[in-house]
Amino acid sequence: MTAGPATPPILPPGRTLSDPLARALYGRDGSMFEGGASLVALPESRDEVVACMHLAATNGLQVVPRGSGTGLAGGAIPIGDTLVVATTKMNRILDVRPEDRLAWVEPGVLNLDLAEHLAPFGFTYAPDPSSQQVCSVGGNVNTNAGGPHCLAYGVTSNHILAVELVLPDGRIEILGSEGPDAPGYDLRGLVVGSEGTLGIVTAICVRLVPLPPAIRTLLLDFTDVEACAATVSDIIARGVIPAALEMMDQLVIRAVEHYVHAGYPTDAAAILLVELDGVAESVAAQAAEVEAAARANGVRTIRVAETAEERGLLWKGRKSAFGATAQVAPNYHLHDCVVPRTKLVEVLRGVYDIVDRHDLKVLNVFHAGDGNLHPLLAFDRREPGALERVLQASEEIVRLCVDAGGALSGEHGIGLEKRDFMSLVFSDADLDAQACLRAAFDPDGVMNPHKVLPAGARCGDHVALERGGGTAGEGIPEGTWI
Amino acid sequence: MDLMRPASPQEAADLLAEATAARRGVVIAGSGRHRDRGPEPPPGATTLATSALNRVVSYDPAEMIAVVEAGLTVGELATVLAEGGQEWAADAPADATVGGVLAVALNSPRRLKVGPVRDSLLEVVLATGDGRLVRGGGRVVKNVTGYDLPRLAVGSRGTLGLIAQVALKVRPLPKAVRTLSWVSDDPFSVGRRILEGVPLPAAVVATPQRVILRLEGWPDEVAAQARTAAVVVGPPGDDDAWPPPGPRGSHRAEISVPPSQLADPGAGLDWAALLGVGVCWVGADDPTLLPPSPSAGLPAPEIHRRLKASFDPAGILPDLAGVPA
Repeated sequence: MTAGPATPPILPPGRTLSDPLARALYGRDGSMFEGGASLVALPESRDEVVACMHLAATNGLQVVPRGSGTGLAGGAIPIGDTLVVATTKMNRILDVRPEDRLAWVEPGVLNLDLAEHLAPFGFTYAPDPSSQQVCSVGGNVNTNAGGPHCLAYGVTSNHILAVELVLPDGRIEILGSEGPDAPGYDLRGLVVGSEGTLGIVTAICVRLVPLPPAIRTLLLDFTDVEACAATVSDIIARGVIPAALEMMDQLVIRAVEHYVHAGYPTDAAAILLVELDGVAESVAAQAAEVEAAARANGVRTIRVAETAEERGLLWKGRKSAFGATAQVAPNYHLHDCVVPRTKLVEVLRGVYDIVDRHDLKVLNVFHAGDGNLHPLLAFDRREPGALERVLQASEEIVRLCVDAGGALSGEHGIGLEKRDFMSLVFSDADLDAQACLRAAFDPDGVMNPHKVLPAGARCGDHVALERGGGTAGEGIPEGTWI
Repeated sequence: MDLMRPASPQEAADLLAEATAARRGVVIAGSGRHRDRGPEPPPGATTLATSALNRVVSYDPAEMIAVVEAGLTVGELATVLAEGGQEWAADAPADATVGGVLAVALNSPRRLKVGPVRDSLLEVVLATGDGRLVRGGGRVVKNVTGYDLPRLAVGSRGTLGLIAQVALKVRPLPKAVRTLSWVSDDPFSVGRRILEGVPLPAAVVATPQRVILRLEGWPDEVAAQARTAAVVVGPPGDDDAWPPPGPRGSHRAEISVPPSQLADPGAGLDWAALLGVGVCWVGADDPTLLPPSPSAGLPAPEIHRRLKASFDPAGILPDLAGVPA
């Protein structure tokens, strides 16, 4: 553990923004919420991050960490008297060590930039959210980000060996290790997915994964959604774990094709984008199983990407799905539901039903192999009552997924958006224990207020902490525009 | 020594609540096989055995998730999963318990391919030291719903509570396997050539006299990898057993370093090193020959202390700071 510089550090001039425009801009992220910062800081080093913590403490501000601000659950929305600490300028790749299968990066490095940097070494960083051109590795760590390749490769937590964390009191800890096992509790594992509530991550040791020798990408099209979902189950039952298994329904296909021209069949009920990777013989064997599964379930056509360009185009279609929605309506609300894989079709039918009843349009993209569904509600915010219908439908969708045995979030996190649903999946005892995990790092409740845990979750009476236990948050306050 | 043997998670929680109220020390025991990986129990501690917590709660091969009580043995779980064509990639001894493997973070020698055991735990129900039943995670393979209690539980060595029930991510059994080995007097050099030349092996293990290559996958894949290995380092000897036996010696230690730093631990020791991973298991009859334990104390001691106090406020369970070298 390092105590940091001996005298309280001061931020150099030019690192903070206090004008009203900046404070408003940094009050928004990729979600529908709108808050406002008291002050914004853009540190350029770990010691400057320590200085930010001192600055916040001196001025009675709580601290809201921010990566690229692409989070969809409102995790970076500043509420109340806050200092937003944006890590955008900490964007250096510090060290790449292929012999140890690791690399150290600053939190502001963009996900895709890291993957591209590693490719010449014969390695990649596996977690690949659709926003990877923009999102930061630090943000990925804080949301335990997913992406299509997580089915075979695992979520972000599987790819983080260590983090350097600045705690709210300004102390610095390295959690985890370059070697495979670190002593003590898996504090590194607690930081991943903690949504900026435990401290600020200032350096990340990522695991390098060898680039697979062979990749094959297939596009399967179906005239029937059930047949597509049955194919997913059949593929898994045959012992194939594809590197990616992505499903898209008709409205998405049409929006994407019109924009990207990847050759998606616009009259399909659903398509499955399947990526297989590994040793060449493995890919061939997996492809044979996938094609057999598809034919057994009535696939209409199977198309195999012949070139890297074609593969790129098929993926561009998938990864542009949300943006392409602009052709359907000017606004969208993106959901993140994860349910048991075998419940996907049932839940999808339920989503269509909810959306019909609220007179909305829905486009569906799914990480089908993981049971991770992303219904995209398309609407026009200017239309009177539309937003209310979207919020009402959203709540019903969350309840539908929880009732099907799912979790509240597969990849986007709880943030603000799902905070008040936590009691649908956890008991008070569960939430109080989580409050204790949080208070172990942040006993004074400085970090990212009002996020993740609902009002009333507290690390309570059974233990004496520095300030008598931390309260995790109140109801979303006035002034948080939605 | 007293023995408590709860038959349900709630009963386990109630027993811990009573022990906390009475300030009576408790040590949790699965098979007891890996007790040397955990801290010393307080003197006079009562044993809380998990042997009656052994139900399979649910298992659907289509979900690739098995929900079991933590006293179920690794062997019993393997039998259930094999019927679904699947496995829990933990490779622990058959009489070890699921909870024990997780509590001491016993990782597979196939770690290069299957990852650490902590990556396989999706949901945990923990009976805390003071008798609360607390659940974290979920029965889905991707989940960001609150804090990662499952990761805290793995490797917690019975110091925070009793792992009562778990949801495990399981994987298909490989269609083909082979374990090739070569005699070598320079096992690290041979092993590194194999690691660089053979794509995606399940394990490359260096021991004082031999190098072992474990291959798993589709039949054509395994055959191709075996041919490649023979080209890179010459034809192997007879196929070997898997997993390889642990190093000989009445005293054991485990070295964990970045993989390029793996090297011969020294004379008088038997050892097995996982290339590409960075783990080396070492054994000796003379404990003074073992490598010194890596560091004094735990990282972030203040955070460790607060976590311990939250889950075991009366301190009836052993303390992690007492973990032996």
